Amino acid sequence: MEKIKNIFNWEPDRSLYPEKDENGNLIVDLSSQKFTKVWHGPNHPGTTGNMAIELTLSGDEVVEAKTHVGYLHRGFEKLMERRLYIQCFPTCVRMCVAEPDYNEYLLARSVEELDNLEIPETAKWLRTLVLEMARLQTLLRTVPGQAGTLSLGMGVQWGVYLRDLVLDLFEELTGGRVYHMYIIPGGVRGLLPDGFKKRMEDVLLKIEDFIVRIDNLIFKNILFKKRTIGIGHIPAEWIDKYGVVGPNARAAGFKRDVRKDYPYLVYDQLDFDIATLTDSDVYARSLIRRQDLITTIDLIRQIMAKMPNDGDIKSPTPNVLHWKIPKGEVYVRSESSRGEYGFYTVSDGSEYPRRINLRGPSYTHAVVLLEKLLINANIADVHSIMVSLQTCPPEIER
Amino acid sequence: MALKDILTPFTAWTNVFKPVVTIKDPFNDRPGAERYRGFHFNDTSKCIGCGSCEAICENEAIDLVPVEGIETKDGDSGLRPRVDYGRCCWCALCVDVCTTASLRLTNEYTWVTENPEDLRYTPGVDVKPWDNNELGWKKPEPNYHFFGQKRVSMPELHPEQRDKSFIEIVKGYSKEQAILEADRCVECGICIATCPAHMGIPDYIRAIREDNIEEGFKILYDTNPLPEICGRICTHKCETVCSVGNLGEALSIRWLKRYIADQVESEDYKRILQSDGIANNGKKVAVVGSGPAGLSAAHYLALMGYSVTIYEQFSQSGGMMRYGIPEYRLPYDQIDKDVNYILSLGVKIIYNTNVGKDISLSELKSKYDAVFAGTGLHLGRSTRIPGTDHKHVYQSIDLLNKITEGKEIHVAENIVVIGGGNVAMDITRSLARLQNIKYGKVSIIATSLEDENSMPADREEVVEAREEMATINPGWGPKEILIEDGNIKGLRVVKCLSIFDEEGRFNPKFDESNTNFFKADMIVESIGQGMDIEYISEDIKKDLEINNRGRIVVDELFQSGAKWLFIGGDIIQGPDVIHGIANGHKAAVGIDKYLNTNI
Amino acid sequence: MNDIIQDITTRFSVTDIINKRENLTFVTCRKENTISLITHLRDREKFTHLVLLTAVDWIEDNLFQLTYILNNPTKKIDIAIRTMIPRDNPVMESAHRLWEQVATYQRELKEMFGIEFPDSPRLNEPFILEGWNEIPPYRRDFDTKKYSTETYFPRIGRGTNDPEEYMKSKLYPNDPTK
Repeated sequence: MEKIKNIFNWEPDRSLYPEKDENGNLIVDLSSQKFTKVWHGPNHPGTTGNMAIELTLSGDEVVEAKTHVGYLHRGFEKLMERRLYIQCFPTCVRMCVAEPDYNEYLLARSVEELDNLEIPETAKWLRTLVLEMARLQTLLRTVPGQAGTLSLGMGVQWGVYLRDLVLDLFEELTGGRVYHMYIIPGGVRGLLPDGFKKRMEDVLLKIEDFIVRIDNLIFKNILFKKRTIGIGHIPAEWIDKYGVVGPNARAAGFKRDVRKDYPYLVYDQLDFDIATLTDSDVYARSLIRRQDLITTIDLIRQIMAKMPNDGDIKSPTPNVLHWKIPKGEVYVRSESSRGEYGFYTVSDGSEYPRRINLRGPSYTHAVVLLEKLLINANIADVHSIMVSLQTCPPEIER
Repeated sequence: MALKDILTPFTAWTNVFKPVVTIKDPFNDRPGAERYRGFHFNDTSKCIGCGSCEAICENEAIDLVPVEGIETKDGDSGLRPRVDYGRCCWCALCVDVCTTASLRLTNEYTWVTENPEDLRYTPGVDVKPWDNNELGWKKPEPNYHFFGQKRVSMPELHPEQRDKSFIEIVKGYSKEQAILEADRCVECGICIATCPAHMGIPDYIRAIREDNIEEGFKILYDTNPLPEICGRICTHKCETVCSVGNLGEALSIRWLKRYIADQVESEDYKRILQSDGIANNGKKVAVVGSGPAGLSAAHYLALMGYSVTIYEQFSQSGGMMRYGIPEYRLPYDQIDKDVNYILSLGVKIIYNTNVGKDISLSELKSKYDAVFAGTGLHLGRSTRIPGTDHKHVYQSIDLLNKITEGKEIHVAENIVVIGGGNVAMDITRSLARLQNIKYGKVSIIATSLEDENSMPADREEVVEAREEMATINPGWGPKEILIEDGNIKGLRVVKCLSIFDEEGRFNPKFDESNTNFFKADMIVESIGQGMDIEYISEDIKKDLEINNRGRIVVDELFQSGAKWLFIGGDIIQGPDVIHGIANGHKAAVGIDKYLNTNI
Repeated sequence: MNDIIQDITTRFSVTDIINKRENLTFVTCRKENTISLITHLRDREKFTHLVLLTAVDWIEDNLFQLTYILNNPTKKIDIAIRTMIPRDNPVMESAHRLWEQVATYQRELKEMFGIEFPDSPRLNEPFILEGWNEIPPYRRDFDTKKYSTETYFPRIGRGTNDPEEYMKSKLYPNDPTK
């Protein structure tokens, strides 16, 4: 009996390979034929978007990982430098496909802050609603997506269906499904359509039912637990060292959330709490996102109940065809589903931005943090770890 | 890790018994939402081809193309947007910025075609199945605008501040107000074609926005040497076609022009316009009349190096601008400011000299290389109704002349003005002021054939006249001036039903049963002026061509049948200042061409 | 916040202090002092979170501006440190020893602006671009529009009209004053 048990608990002796020099550094000599080089991506169903990880393996163990980006680079930051501020807004949304609304909001907020423009109260609520809806639809894909990386695709399909329902709501409110182009400098582009609140509530109820099913399918699943608990552990001291933000930091016990710490829009009028965990592994990060999903549903309900039903949606602005923004610079941030998402905008006083720089969470998560986390990981866990960081390549290379 | 963790995932199997959620026939079962941003549709009858959609398109997906059957005319470029769906990103900024709300996106989002060239089409012109889809993205409501819809209001004297004096009413924009107003311009350039002088309107408005007054001033003088004057009393045809005016209020183009001119001091003119040291070319041109046409011709001729002499019948320059338009609309020092600059270019004016009486046109011909005549319309027309020969029946133009010259005029206690044009308003408001000064009250009625909505006077003239307590009672045809014991008792009028017949000719119809009587001791006729070309002697006249409406025919350079004689201004086109300026400018080019190539 | 700014003003002679918001201040620091200022802020004032590092090209002044935005997660305040370096010899001391992710930022700046950070790990490895032979593309003198017109081909049949010019050609083509 003991013998059988030992077979299940067998672990290879990893002390000999890969070899180390006297300082404890790995000796990675590809010509020794003891190592394998594997390209994980850029076209790999397990990667999020087009991004490659160059893995050096010793057996099934990763000894070196390098992130390669550039497959999505279209130079948006540069392109915006020769566009009017209003023309930037259809461009900037493309810097994150999954949650384009944060880009719209941050661009609009930068312009408003540089030009000292206040927006109508109704627009603030609508903006908050759209940002939370964006988080909702991303999490609907990401939470079950974590199990998807371990080949449990059923939850992903449920999530994609529910996300489609949220996109239907987006379509009603903003006229677009993926790129909503709804938040513009000065306000938003439309009031809630008739009956929207009712339809929103219907969708939220379906999502709540889905969370129960997801719990049963994923979070109470022994295989999922086995494959995620203790995997991809981010030590607490790495959080600041590697610039870790959002759910990844919250899973390590850091109660950081831009919505609470630097309240923007109407978040100070909403009642919500930030969940934290301390395990800081893939499972903990998944649980944090699941909790975020619940928080978001609650926030949307609060917004629906509290928001004004009519009123101006846009402040008067200068003529957008030649709107000059006063010289200056500003950094504005918001909490995307991945963490702190910010725009650094520099204006030279002309009609065109001097520089717009996006600070995306994946810039640190998917490059330096991921490269560190993958060391000594099993190759089968690579994309599970990557997805647990919720990497988004377009925001790395813009 | 419990047994539970092994079993619970299997609950997912319960979904096998749930209904499927996919849409079976998405082409028919799933129309786009009410606001969906699908393919474009353009209401081409509303669209004016201003190109704002093209300007805002960040992907350069929109071209403006000519469309068969859509004519280029005042206020419509005749161009229509064509969308390249290889570039369009469906952001609908083109819809939001549209100045006429003609462009929208429909909720159609499926379209299969084998030819990629199909995906570039002119919405509303190339017929598409979704053209009648009412749903789709439209310009959002309410209060959602990409540029200011309301004019920056012009500070003016209150009626009680102005109704006893001839002080200028309109105060002019401050810098902040002007920049704010200039900001509303979408720079489409549609106004340029409508302006008789084709002024570079969007360019000088941009100069205001950039607070570059000197640049703006130069642009003004490219086409208009009387900006202070035009900035006050131009008929601003440009504002009637302003694309911003389609949904909001048109730009105050006239006041913006005035703003630029007001900012520049007289002593800076030559420096800014770089008009010092023009080489004289030794040729001489005479100009008859120092009205807008004459001054404009003189200005551009002087810039080309000609020695120009203007002959003016009155003691001061300006023609109708000084002797017709009251001072509260156009202060005399502003006329002087514009005229003095022209004089500083070497132009000479000989005052109190009536060509035809004091010097003959033939003499001018022999003394000068060419002559430009801009003699205007100074002969008041009469209604010729019974009683018009009474001594207290006046012509408005005569009274306005006298007011300008500071001469005493007869001001009765009750006055009736016949006429509904701007001159009628000018005399009404001038006499109202004089009544107010003399009697401390206003009792003046202006009446016209045209009804309230078709009165030719500018709307603000009518409104301001009423503010000054004058009565405007339009829609009546004058029948008879009632005279008792040699004194005027009043004017008898009948209701006017229509003015023009089916063929568009002047042929008023009256309702004789509906009469009215306006009490008056003095009547002023102001139904238009005619030209006086007595000064053109018979030997010259025989070279001229005169058309069936009694007008002298000139070519596009304003050269008459007598090659040395160029004629322009109100006697050819108008009547207004800006046509005169444009005529004078073209004639100057014509004279230059004539004297150099002898056409 | 004010105490911190006052403190660093005297210690590191920062200038051009702009309080953009109550929790965001921009300061300008000389190139030589920048890394020690950042170290001071990180270790003494607990600005432990590096928000971003990026550059702005002030081509007309022949300068690159480097902006380091630091965040103090406890006090919830940000300081943005701006440093001007000459554009014709753009070299800056590397900050990768303070935060490891700075190496990534510096790799991007090297690639996109051509700014050198000696000692920064993997600095010369291509980050985003592949086989790029032009000047660093985020510099202002790199013209994206020109590059794309020269590199790609226009769609046949495109062509637009300016309303002003078009109306002139239709309504007053022979105006002698124009």
